[in-house]
Amino acid sequence: MTPRAETVHWLFATGFLLLGLFLLAEAIVGRDVWAKRRWRLYLWPSLAFGLGVLLWPVSVFFTNSTLHMIAHASWAETAMIAGGAQLGLARGKLHSRWWSITVTVSLAVSGAAFLIHEQNPWLFSRSAFLHHALGWTLIVAALLPLLQAWRPRVFAWNAGFAMVWITIAVLLYCDRDVAPIFGHLSPLAGAPR
Amino acid sequence: MKRLATVLVAGLAAVALPSAAFAHATLRHTSPALQSRVDTAPRAVVLRFDQQVGIIPHTLEVFAVDGRRVSGPPSFGGDHRVVQVKLADLVRGGYTVRWRVLSSDGHVGSGVFTFGYRTVAPPPTDAYGASGPTWADDVARWGLFVSLAVLLGSLGIRLIVLREPLPERLSQRLYIFSGLGAFAAIDVGIVAFVLRAEDALQLPFVDLMYGDLSPFANKTRFGVAFVSMTLGFALVATFVFLSWLLDMPKLLWPAFLIALGFASGLSLSGHSAVEPNSSSLSQVADFLHLSAASLWAGGLIAIVFAVWPLAPELRRGAFLGFSRLATVLVALLVVAGTYLAVLRLPAVHDLWSASYGRVLLVKLAIVCVALTWGAVHHFLVRPRLERGDSPRGLRRSLLGEASVALAVLFAAAVLVNSAPPPRPSPSPTQASPATR
Repeated sequence: MTPRAETVHWLFATGFLLLGLFLLAEAIVGRDVWAKRRWRLYLWPSLAFGLGVLLWPVSVFFTNSTLHMIAHASWAETAMIAGGAQLGLARGKLHSRWWSITVTVSLAVSGAAFLIHEQNPWLFSRSAFLHHALGWTLIVAALLPLLQAWRPRVFAWNAGFAMVWITIAVLLYCDRDVAPIFGHLSPLAGAPR
Repeated sequence: MKRLATVLVAGLAAVALPSAAFAHATLRHTSPALQSRVDTAPRAVVLRFDQQVGIIPHTLEVFAVDGRRVSGPPSFGGDHRVVQVKLADLVRGGYTVRWRVLSSDGHVGSGVFTFGYRTVAPPPTDAYGASGPTWADDVARWGLFVSLAVLLGSLGIRLIVLREPLPERLSQRLYIFSGLGAFAAIDVGIVAFVLRAEDALQLPFVDLMYGDLSPFANKTRFGVAFVSMTLGFALVATFVFLSWLLDMPKLLWPAFLIALGFASGLSLSGHSAVEPNSSSLSQVADFLHLSAASLWAGGLIAIVFAVWPLAPELRRGAFLGFSRLATVLVALLVVAGTYLAVLRLPAVHDLWSASYGRVLLVKLAIVCVALTWGAVHHFLVRPRLERGDSPRGLRRSLLGEASVALAVLFAAAVLVNSAPPPRPSPSPTQASPATR
């Protein structure tokens, strides 16, 4: 009854694409213009929090290995905490901009979980390649929230952070469990579909 | 520092060299099906994987409940994704299938499942070779009880004993306790689930990371309880967070009720649900017993670590209110606990002759200490507070009672993981020795 892994990835890709577009819009128009409508401040943090909540069913319904379950659970929990901290900042319940460290931790943990839970090498199949690409993207991107906290108004950091989520969405949209990458598919990976 | 640097470098190397990591095969299909009952004796067990695998020692073995191996040597089926073994003539009973396959790049994937021939299949946790819960399971279950106590206690104190609006700092700390309790219940639940599966899988740690948990999540009571409770407590964490964010304490009521409801997962997957003489009443009694104990212990923790240091003006009201609540909780604890003890111990001498009975005796002794402590608070301290006195050392005394309550929860965790003494007539659903 559980959907294919790639179908779930596509659903989350849609969420991440929206998240990235919100952040990109904020980076382009600037924080001051973006904040003229208060509700806009809640858009990406509530989306991140909601995606974290939705990751829990994925965690407990995809249990074909211990690592998969723990990886999904770590994404769920860190996304809820990071999204929650950002919502707290937007609402004025939290004040220190260093709460952005929760986003850094979330990205670093998520990236490490991607890399650790993928046991196959880069070119084993398309999903293996994408898991490695996602893991490294997230780990490198973990620096951006720190840079944003340090210099909040630098366009490069804000746009870069937005582009990270758009990149993740594109990578997830490309995901198919058993499909070739660059025309190559390991004979061990099973029949392509 | 040097060691830390070594660990960090090793960790980075582990993720930086993914091609050295190993692929593992995922089981796609089995015959007979996982935990199925078959009425025609199968001639073979067939496993189909999502990729080609290699045969290694103990790749595919089938055991009867008495440990007798009933399978021949493994061989490949149509291609190297299919592994099969022929079976000897089976007799009525439960059977355990253990598999270990080598992916061609060196990694070993493993799993276990059961099937029943002319009988109901035993759950995978009762697979042949499983040794039952260990001290690690006891500690994990205790952690789950404590998490539940912190969650229910911090919410219960706030909703039942104290009245909104609360002082800001107290409110914040209670929110932190509730959030920590909810996430801890999820995280410790995951650890407890993996440990329980590990016992049945009988794997070393690294292989366990690639062990197939799906038979446990889908085919066992504790697996279904784990899935439900994880989702339930994620919902609780969401309600607690929204209540904090939106300044809407009313949202804590659904959080409290959902947490209370999903705490029943422990009762629905424990002795009260699987023992031969279990009934709806025993499950309700177990649920009330656990909920009352969690509220009692958690309420004390909330008073000692939140109300006392942060809201001196509320200490007296909190103590008196909790004292009234504790009276009801203790009554529930005693009534439900007595009923369950009578139900699970067929004879009085089981109290000292069976290991379950001895653990129960230890638990009862600790409960007596806790009840005496609570009675001192109720009958000696409470009247003084009502007269307006301020007894000294009350926080330390409450901390002592909370510590004893946590010890009660530990004894309860050991008790839940122990098997009650057998009853004269075993259930037909239990895996029985093979008979023709």
